Amino acid sequence: MNFFVHIIIMASLTLIPALGYNMVFGKGKILHFGQEGIALIASYSLWALMIMKGFSYPAAIFASMAATVLIALLFAWLSLRLEPDGFGVLSIAVHLMTLAIVLNWQELTRGALGIPKIPRDPWPMDLMSFAAIVLMITLLWSMSIWFLDRSRFGRALAALSEHPWHAQALGIERSTIHIIAFFVAGMGSLIANILFPPYIFLLSPTDYMFPAMIFLVMIVVAGKPGSVVGTSIATFLLIALKEALRFVPLAPSILGPVRLILFGLILFGVVWWRRDVLFPQRRSI
Amino acid sequence: MQLVINALIAGSLAALIAGGLSLVYGTLGVFNLALGQMVLIGGYVTWWLHQVVNLPLVVSIAGGLGVGAMISWATFELFVEPFWKRHRFLPLVTTIALSMMLDGMILLLFEERPRAILPGLKGSFPFFGARVNDTQITLIVVTLLLLSGFAFILHSTPFGRKLRAVVQHPHAAESLGINAPKINRLIFILSGMLAACGGIYQGIDQNLTPTLAFPITIKAYAAIIAGGKGHFWGAILCAYLIALLEQLAIGVPWFGGTYIGAGYQQTVALAVIIVFLLLKPNGLFGSSIRSA
Repeated sequence: MNFFVHIIIMASLTLIPALGYNMVFGKGKILHFGQEGIALIASYSLWALMIMKGFSYPAAIFASMAATVLIALLFAWLSLRLEPDGFGVLSIAVHLMTLAIVLNWQELTRGALGIPKIPRDPWPMDLMSFAAIVLMITLLWSMSIWFLDRSRFGRALAALSEHPWHAQALGIERSTIHIIAFFVAGMGSLIANILFPPYIFLLSPTDYMFPAMIFLVMIVVAGKPGSVVGTSIATFLLIALKEALRFVPLAPSILGPVRLILFGLILFGVVWWRRDVLFPQRRSI
Repeated sequence: MQLVINALIAGSLAALIAGGLSLVYGTLGVFNLALGQMVLIGGYVTWWLHQVVNLPLVVSIAGGLGVGAMISWATFELFVEPFWKRHRFLPLVTTIALSMMLDGMILLLFEERPRAILPGLKGSFPFFGARVNDTQITLIVVTLLLLSGFAFILHSTPFGRKLRAVVQHPHAAESLGINAPKINRLIFILSGMLAACGGIYQGIDQNLTPTLAFPITIKAYAAIIAGGKGHFWGAILCAYLIALLEQLAIGVPWFGGTYIGAGYQQTVALAVIIVFLLLKPNGLFGSSIRSA
C-alpha cells in the first residue's frame, strides 16, 4: 500500500512541472530543454539558503521565487531573440552550466553529495497525509493549467506556435505570451521543488541531470503535445513503469542500461507516433 | 607551453569530431545529439578488436572505422532522414532517444570500467618546455594529415566541389544535377567515421568511459556554433581555440593567484555556446542569410 502511495506522490510531483513544460514545449512548440535548469535553480536557491546559510523558510521561499522568475524571464527573452534550434541548444547549455556550478560550488551546495536532512516541516510527516496534500496541490495546479489552456492565452499560444507572423498580425503579442508561458513553467518547477526534496529528505543534483529532462520530453510527447489530460495520463503511466522496473529481477549493472534502452525506445516510439503533431508542417497553398 | 601542447592534443580530438559534424549541420541543419555515443562506439570497437580479439592495431582501427560508418548510416536511415523530411527539429528528439539506447548498449557491452586501446604507461620526453609522449605526437600529426587530406578532397576534387555545393545551397545544387540526398547520406556517414576517429584517438591517448559521451557532444557543438553553420575550417579552428581556452581557464592563476577548479573545465565549452548564440549566432565565419 505504501508503495502505491509512493507512486501517487512521485507521479503528482512529476506532473506539476510536466504540465508547465507542456505549456511551453507541447502547446507553444518552443524548443526548450532548460526545464530542469529552472528546477535546479528553484530547488537549490530554496534549500541551500535554508539549510546551508540558515535562512528562514519564508525568506528562502521568497528568494527561490525571485530566482525562478528571473530565470524564467531570461529564458523567455532568449526564446524571442534566437532561432528555435539555437534556443534549444542554448537551453541545454544553461542547464548543464547550472549543474556544473552546483556540482563544483561545494561550500554552498555540497557538490555531488547533495544536501541531506531536508526538513518536511511544515508539511505532515505521515505518508498518507503528505500524499493527500500533494494530491490536492496537484489537482489545483492541474485545474489552473486546464483553464489557462482553454483561455484566450491558450488560444494565443497555439496560434503563435502554428504561424507566428499571422498571429502577430492579428494582434497577439509574442513577447507577452512567451513570458507568461515560461512563467507558468517556472512556477510548476518551483511548486514541485518545494515538495519533492522534503519528501525524500534529500536534495541531490542527480535528480536534475539531463535524463530527467528527457523524461519530461517523453511525457509531453507521449501524452500528445499540448494536451493537459494526455500529459497527466502519460505522467502516471510512465512513473508507474519507472517505479515498477525496480522489481525486475536483474542485477543493477544490467537493469540500469536496460532501463536506458527501454526509455530510449519508448521516446523513439512516441516521436514516431506523434511525428505529425509534435512539430506540425505548416500548410502551404 | 604545457598548456598549449595539452590544448593541441585535446583540440585535435575535438577537431576531428567537429569537422564532420559541421558539414552535417550545414547541409541538414540537424543536431545529432547521439554524436558522443558514436565517438565512443568507434573507440570501444577498436578496443575490443585489439585487446580482446587480439587483432593488429591497424586492422582494429579499420574495424572501428567500419563499425562507425555503419552505425552512422543506420542512424541516418532510421533516426534522421524519415523525421527530417517532416520537420527539421524532429531529429533533435530522435537522436536524443538514440543516445539513450546507445548509452545503454555501451554500458551493457563494455561496462563502466575505463578501457584503453593501448594500456600501460607511455614514457614522455621534453618538447619545447613541455612533456609529451610519442603516441600523442603521432596522434596530432595523423589528425593534421587526416584534416589536410580531407581539405584536398573538399577543395580539389569533383566530389569535394559537389559536397561544398550541397552544403552551401542544397536546392541549387540539386537543380544543377547533383544528387543532394545521396551527398547528404555520404556526409552523415563521413561525419560518423570522423567521430569514430575521435573515439579511437581518445582510446589510444587516454581511455574510454561511457560518461565521456555528453561532454564530447557539447564540445563539438560549441566548436560548430562558434565556427559558423556549415563552415568546416571554422569548426576546426574553434575546436582548437576552445581546447586552449579550457586549458587556460584551469591552468592559469586568475584574480590574484587563485586557480579555477578542474570541475569547471566543461563550463568553458558551455560558455562559448551561450556567448556566441547571444552575441554572434552566425559564428565567427558564418554569414547571415537574408530572408525575403
